[in-house]
Amino acid sequence: MARIREWWSNPWGKPRFLALFTMLYLVWSIVPILIAIRFSFNDGRSRSTAQGWSLRWYLDDPDLSIRNDPDLHTALFQSLRLATIAVLVTVPLGVALAIGLTRWRGRGAGTSRAVSLATLVTPEIVMGTALLLVFVHVLTFIPLGTIAQAIGHITFSLVFVLIIVRGRLLAIGPEYEEAARDLGATQFQALRLALLPMLVPATVASAIIVFAISMDDFVISQFLSSGTATDTVPVRIYSTGRTAPTPALNALATLTLGLTLVVALVGYLLWRGVRAARGGTGSALQDFAALDAEPLR
Amino acid sequence: MPDPDRGVGRGNAFWAGLALPGVVWLCLFFLLPFYVILCVALGSVHPIFQTPRPEWNPLLWRTGAFEFVFEGLFSSGAGFQKVFLRTFAYVAIATALSLLIAYPVAYFIARFGGRWKGLLLVGLIAPFFISYLMRMLAWINLLQDDGWVNDVLVWIGIFDEPRNWLDGRASSVILGLVYGYVPFMILPLYAFLDRIDRSLLEAARDLGASPFEAFRLVTLPLSMPAILAGIVIIALPMFGDYYTTDLLSQSPQTSMIGNQIFLYIRGGQQIPVGAALVVVLMLFLTVLMGYYVVSTARAHRRLGG
Amino acid sequence: MATFHPRESRYARREFLKRGAAGAFALSSMGTLLAACGGGDGGSGTALELNIARPDNPVTHPLFDDNPMIASSLEPESGTLRIYNWNGYLWPRIKKDFAKEYGVKVEETFFDTMDEAITKISTGAVDFDVFFPTVDRMSRLAIGKSLQPLNHDYLPNLPKTVWPALQDPWYDKGSQYTVPYVTWTTGIGYRTDETDSRPENYSNPYEIYWDEANRGKVYVLDDSRDAIGHMLLKNGITNINTEDPAEIELAKNELKSLIGAVNIKYSTNDYTNLPEGRAWVHQMWSGSAVSAQYYMNDGAKPDVLRFWFPPDGGGTIGSDLMAIPKSAKRPVLAHHFLNYLLDEKHGYDNFANYVGYQPPFVKLDPDRLVAEGVVPANLKTAIVRESDFNQGYVQTELTPTGQTLWQNAWSEFKAGA
Repeated sequence: MARIREWWSNPWGKPRFLALFTMLYLVWSIVPILIAIRFSFNDGRSRSTAQGWSLRWYLDDPDLSIRNDPDLHTALFQSLRLATIAVLVTVPLGVALAIGLTRWRGRGAGTSRAVSLATLVTPEIVMGTALLLVFVHVLTFIPLGTIAQAIGHITFSLVFVLIIVRGRLLAIGPEYEEAARDLGATQFQALRLALLPMLVPATVASAIIVFAISMDDFVISQFLSSGTATDTVPVRIYSTGRTAPTPALNALATLTLGLTLVVALVGYLLWRGVRAARGGTGSALQDFAALDAEPLR
Repeated sequence: MPDPDRGVGRGNAFWAGLALPGVVWLCLFFLLPFYVILCVALGSVHPIFQTPRPEWNPLLWRTGAFEFVFEGLFSSGAGFQKVFLRTFAYVAIATALSLLIAYPVAYFIARFGGRWKGLLLVGLIAPFFISYLMRMLAWINLLQDDGWVNDVLVWIGIFDEPRNWLDGRASSVILGLVYGYVPFMILPLYAFLDRIDRSLLEAARDLGASPFEAFRLVTLPLSMPAILAGIVIIALPMFGDYYTTDLLSQSPQTSMIGNQIFLYIRGGQQIPVGAALVVVLMLFLTVLMGYYVVSTARAHRRLGG
Repeated sequence: MATFHPRESRYARREFLKRGAAGAFALSSMGTLLAACGGGDGGSGTALELNIARPDNPVTHPLFDDNPMIASSLEPESGTLRIYNWNGYLWPRIKKDFAKEYGVKVEETFFDTMDEAITKISTGAVDFDVFFPTVDRMSRLAIGKSLQPLNHDYLPNLPKTVWPALQDPWYDKGSQYTVPYVTWTTGIGYRTDETDSRPENYSNPYEIYWDEANRGKVYVLDDSRDAIGHMLLKNGITNINTEDPAEIELAKNELKSLIGAVNIKYSTNDYTNLPEGRAWVHQMWSGSAVSAQYYMNDGAKPDVLRFWFPPDGGGTIGSDLMAIPKSAKRPVLAHHFLNYLLDEKHGYDNFANYVGYQPPFVKLDPDRLVAEGVVPANLKTAIVRESDFNQGYVQTELTPTGQTLWQNAWSEFKAGA
């Protein structure tokens, strides 16, 4: 208690108002989700009155649990499928794009940069409409459904990889590659051996972000869906949430959250392992947050 | 600091080649679709089934859909105009509120995070990992007549009886937008504020500035590019939002331009009108974007960058 | 965070124009390329007539050579039967039982509005095996070859169970493309425990929508035909298929006045909105009133639900249909599914246990439904009789001009006051 009073009256301490404000924000941001997670384990049918704890909506309920309601677990698998495809395609494409755009000088470079960043500020309904019309009237050999949705996800998340990796590149600068080239490496070898290792945390971070964005995506998945079989979790939540939702919906969202966290954790641990193997020291989390790969050098 | 864009001179084609797949992808699945939208908007419909027939040849473009949209936009009191102005108002208010929330939080974590920075960051990033819709649904649950928000407010004594927050009021929709979009603003702000050179601030303090003055004269101007970027990142996509109001309101009184687009695109009869609305929206956003680019350049120059 | 490096001085006006011209040229040459590889929407050359079917103008739809019906005596396919339907309009048990009986999987996709569904079906962008259209849209689908003609050899239940009038209906003589699914009326649902408003208390019952005591709790259906329809009926206009711009304008203004009066909302989830307390007064389909009894929120009993329909029968009445899209991948299985639902027992179970909408079956006695506990006594106004079709008003097809008028009125309503 005395410590709190001391902290409160210390003029050199952290600004109290800001601290309180930040805490309030975090509470406002996260508590509703915690509540939603709690109700996913509700034993009864209500999503607002606490009625005990059970795994009913995940496994046991004969018709409506995730395991037994095909619409729900189909949505989960579709989300996973799309997110995986998105990561596998977007990350290499985006890293190459970032490196190329950052170093490229000359005709078309500026325009390409502008175009690449344009998806960030384009509303999803615009992209959804555009892609829907394209697949229905022009590229009709691509049916609506998983392929169309995957294309939409990749197009939408490319810019995030671009920003993260390009930000890192600008901070790194070309010195390392130049040093490598001075020592006799070709352009390509310099890229592969000097630059790419330094981009590992940025790459891992962008992979995690693309995964999260893809799992979370609603508009594009809805517009380009071909039916229940290709509905993703957010689309399911939207359509069921407005009629007669059961806590199974909360369970679905909780599982999605869990999966995304697992992917993030795996990515982080992977990077930490690589870093330790190369003799890095200090706080791995801090370095990761700063996308700092110095220790890998 | 040496110009990071200083390309390794020879091998420029190498860099262009590296960027090529991404650029081609974006041309095919981002730029081309815009042209398709244009052609649908300027095309015709089948006389009976009213499915859109895009017109690829610019010489045969028909402006009927655009005329209808412009009429709705520029005659006073017409539908599209009302919706557009309302959307603009919602986005402006929601963005301003988001900034008022995002900046202090980002500032605090960047400057005073200390040991807890990692954990606080996780708290900031958490909303990205949870579906926007789930967060919105969680909110709706809390806002219901018998939900916790009403329980708390009545218990504290602010209200005597539960208020119907979901009856289609603008404030619920705006707060919903803020709730959904504010995480997208905090992260870029944080990333930028984190990189601000502390020594500049210390220099200002050494020269006699109070903490507030140091903030106002050093930190704030330095963070203008990040603030502008944050505004652009959430305001522009927010213009296309339609599901927040659908979930929180379902009232015509809070409909946004996204809802009108949705009505026409998914509504069957007049898809060219929907396409025309999309084109108009994008033109408007491009103008805003252009303003941003110019402001950034100006801010850049002012900082001597 | 990426920065732009906008070297504005570079973009001198001449540069800009040059780039603009280059861009325009690229786009228009792309245009000719697109025209070459783009998919059209078919049928651009034929001059097709849209014959609007009305009760006094029965229509036999044309059959096309390039849209033949399937052969008889084929085996039903295996795999997944894909159904495209309203939400909550088909009992899950039916799907399960059918799946088990035929050794297939059944998957149902929902649409929120008929407009949305028609768009998907008529552009052929998706393929479903079974579709549930409404009477006022099926002509277009038939002429547009989006539906395939039905082979009645697979539908022995049709002549056995269905009302004779609907076996050979005015909108589809010979039931060539559709079979009936359920019948419905559009009325006004309300809860006696939450509101004191009663349609009977007003000289014009439709005025109940404007009762300010229910502000924020009043809904119309998210369907332009029904919502505008009620506004027309309120003003004594019984032609609910009118294409008179003045009448549509009047109805639109009525809807808009509701925004200011009660902050009107729209939804097609009437069967949950009313029982769960989100709505106190809700424009409602009759079947939703019946099935709403299963969705009451905690503590409330179904006996507080009421359904008002004009006592003289002068309200909207209709039937929904089942059809098989042309692009169906499992047409034989689809025919079997239609026949399955036309079976007396299955159709009745579907209605009594879940859907609440009555199938037009000869053996289904409306007067016994209350006694059998299928329909609560307080909702007996939701029961549909064959004779009701004599006084009620049916939604028929609109011409393209008419549809545009209705859609624009609807979008203006949705734009807010």
